[in-house]
Amino acid sequence: MTHNTDTSVKTEGVWKIFQTDGLSIEAVRDVSLVIGAGEFVVLAGPSGSGKTTLLNLLGGLSHPTKGRVWIADTDITDMSERELARMRLERIGFVFQAYNLLPVLSAKENAEFPLLLRGVAEEERERLVSELFEKIGIGGLEHRRPSKLSGGQQQRVAVARAVIGKPALVLADEPTANLDREASRALLDLMVTLNRDLGVTFVFATHDNELMERAGRLIHLVDGEISSDNKQVLR
Amino acid sequence: MNGRVRLLTSLAWRNVRRQARRSSLTAAAMIVGLALLMFSRSLAEGAHEDWIDAGVRLGSGHISVQSPEFRDRATIEHRISPRQIEQIQEALSADIIAAEVTATAPRITVRGLASSAAGARPVVIMGVDPELESAFSNLGDKLAEGRYLQPGDRLHAYIGTALASRLRLRLGSRLVLTAQDADGEITGQLARVAGIFESGIPTVDEGLIHIPLTTAQEWLAAEGELTTFAIVLRSSKSVASTFESIVSRLANSSGLSVLSWHETMPELDGAVRVDDFGDMIFHGILLSIVALAIVNTVLMSVLYRVREFGVLRALGLSQVQTGSVVFIEGLILTISSGFAGMILGISLTMLFFHDGLDFSFLFDSELTMAGIVIDPIIIPTFTTSLILNSVAFITLIGVLSSFYPALHAARVDIAESMKFEA
Repeated sequence: MTHNTDTSVKTEGVWKIFQTDGLSIEAVRDVSLVIGAGEFVVLAGPSGSGKTTLLNLLGGLSHPTKGRVWIADTDITDMSERELARMRLERIGFVFQAYNLLPVLSAKENAEFPLLLRGVAEEERERLVSELFEKIGIGGLEHRRPSKLSGGQQQRVAVARAVIGKPALVLADEPTANLDREASRALLDLMVTLNRDLGVTFVFATHDNELMERAGRLIHLVDGEISSDNKQVLR
Repeated sequence: MNGRVRLLTSLAWRNVRRQARRSSLTAAAMIVGLALLMFSRSLAEGAHEDWIDAGVRLGSGHISVQSPEFRDRATIEHRISPRQIEQIQEALSADIIAAEVTATAPRITVRGLASSAAGARPVVIMGVDPELESAFSNLGDKLAEGRYLQPGDRLHAYIGTALASRLRLRLGSRLVLTAQDADGEITGQLARVAGIFESGIPTVDEGLIHIPLTTAQEWLAAEGELTTFAIVLRSSKSVASTFESIVSRLANSSGLSVLSWHETMPELDGAVRVDDFGDMIFHGILLSIVALAIVNTVLMSVLYRVREFGVLRALGLSQVQTGSVVFIEGLILTISSGFAGMILGISLTMLFFHDGLDFSFLFDSELTMAGIVIDPIIIPTFTTSLILNSVAFITLIGVLSSFYPALHAARVDIAESMKFEA
C-alpha cells in the first residue's frame, strides 16, 4: 500500500481483540480505511459497534491486535509508548465526551498545554490562544478555571486544546453528548468552521444525528466492521 | 528550570493545593512522624550519653591508656613509667585532641584488702589526684557523709556506705589497706575515713576506695608511676576520632595500650547497643506507619485521578512525565512536611532541654544497669547530624512512598482510563 502526505490517517486490516474472562471479544474487525487531510468524518453505529475502540486505535491510545495504522505517512503500529506520546503531542488532537480539561489549570493554560509541552515560547502561546479563543467565541474566559465554565464553554476550550498545535488529525469521541441542543449546535458550527478555514481533519465517533448529517463522510460500524462508508456534501 | 519541568512542577503543586484535605492529612502524618522521630532519637541520644558519661566517669574514661597487660591482669606489676606519662601528656596536648578532652585522671589501681577491727573485705584501691579526679569522676558528688579527698590529703580515704557498714567504719575511723606492691611484697597502709559515698551501685559502694595518688605511689613503691591514665571527652561521639588521633601519636611509644570505653566497659557498650537496636525497631515501625500513610493518601489521590492521568498521556505526556507529576507531588509534600516536622521536633525537644523528662515515676528505687545508675531524668541531646539524619530519613521515606503511586500513574491504560468516572 502506498502513502502520501494528503493522507491524514490510514488503517490496513486492523483488528482489536479483547480477552475478558477467557472470552475473546472482537471490538474492531478487519478495518481498512484511508482518511484524507481536511476530511470531516463521522464514525457512526450503535453502542458496542467499536467506534471508540477504532478512535483509540487511530489516535495511538491503544495498539491493534492485528493490522497496521499510519498517521500521515508514519506507521505507528509498533511504536513504543514514548514514541506514541511524541506522536500524539505533535500530530493528534483529542476532544473527549467529558471535556477532560485539567481542573487545576485555567482555560488558557488548558488550551496552551500542548504548546507548553512542545516548548513554544510564551509570546507565541499568548498570541495563538488569544486568536483562537476569539475565533471560537470564548474570548475573555482565559483565566477561568474549568469549574467556572459551562459545559459548552468547557468543550470549546477542549476543542481549542485539540487544534491549537495544528495537528494532522483531531479525534473527537461523542463531543456533543454532554451538551444541550443549542451548545451542541454551536460546537458543531465551530468544528465545521475550523475544518473549513484551517483545514483541520476531524474524525468523530458519535450518536448525534445532526453531526452525522453535517459530516463530509459517514462511516457506519456494525459489530466492529465497516458496514458502509459514504461521502456526502458537507453542510 | 526547563519549561517542561516547570510545567510538571506547577501541575503537581496545584494538585497538592487542590486536594488540600488529603494533602494536609499526608503532611500531618509526616510532620508528626518526623517530630516524634527527632524527639525520641534526641531522648535516646540523651539517655545513652548520660549512661556513657556516668559509666566512663566512674570507670576509666572514654579513653584510657594502660600497660597492655594491665587490662587482663590488673596488677601493679604492669605500670606506666614517668617517661610514658610524659609521652601521653604530650600526645594529649595536640590541638585536635586537646579540643575534645574535658578531664584526665592519672590513677594507680590495685586489688587489696580493707581491714578494721570488725573484719576485712576485698576492695579495689584507687590512688587518685583529688583535684583532677573531682573534675573527672562523679563519685565526689555521691557524698553521704564527710568530704571528698582534697589536695594535700595523705592518709585520707573515701569509702562507700556498704563498706563502711560492713567494717563498721565512721568518719575519722581508721582502716588498714593491704596490697601487693611494685616489688611483689605484701604491704599495708593505714588510712582514715574522710568521706563516705553512696553511688547506688552495690559493688562500688562495697568495694571501691579512693586514696590520694601520692600516698598510693609511695605505699606501693611506684613513685611517679601509674597503672591507668584515664581521659574523658566532650562527647562520646568524638571517641572514635580522638581514639585514632591518640593511637597514632603514641604509635612510637612501646608498652602502652590505648583502650576505648567500648573495650573497658563491654557491659555498658552492650546495653547501649541493645537499646539502640530497640530504638531502631521502634523507629522502623514509626517510619513504616508514616510510609503507609503517604502511600495510602498519594495512591488514593492517583486512583481518584485515573482519567486525568489518561488525559495527560493522551495529550502527549510520556509515562515518565506522567509519573513525575505524582512523584513531584510526593516531593513537595515531603519537603514542606519535612521542614515543618523539623521545626516541631526541635521545638518539642527544646521544651525539655533544661529540666529534662522525669521518668522517676516509673521506678520505685534506683535503677542500675551495666555498672551504672540510670538517671531517671533524661535530657534530650541534639546534634546537627541527628537533625540531618532524621530529615534525610523522612525524605527517603517520602521519596520511596511516592514511587509506587507514581509508577501506578505512569502505567495508566489511556483507553481504559477514559471509562473511569471521577
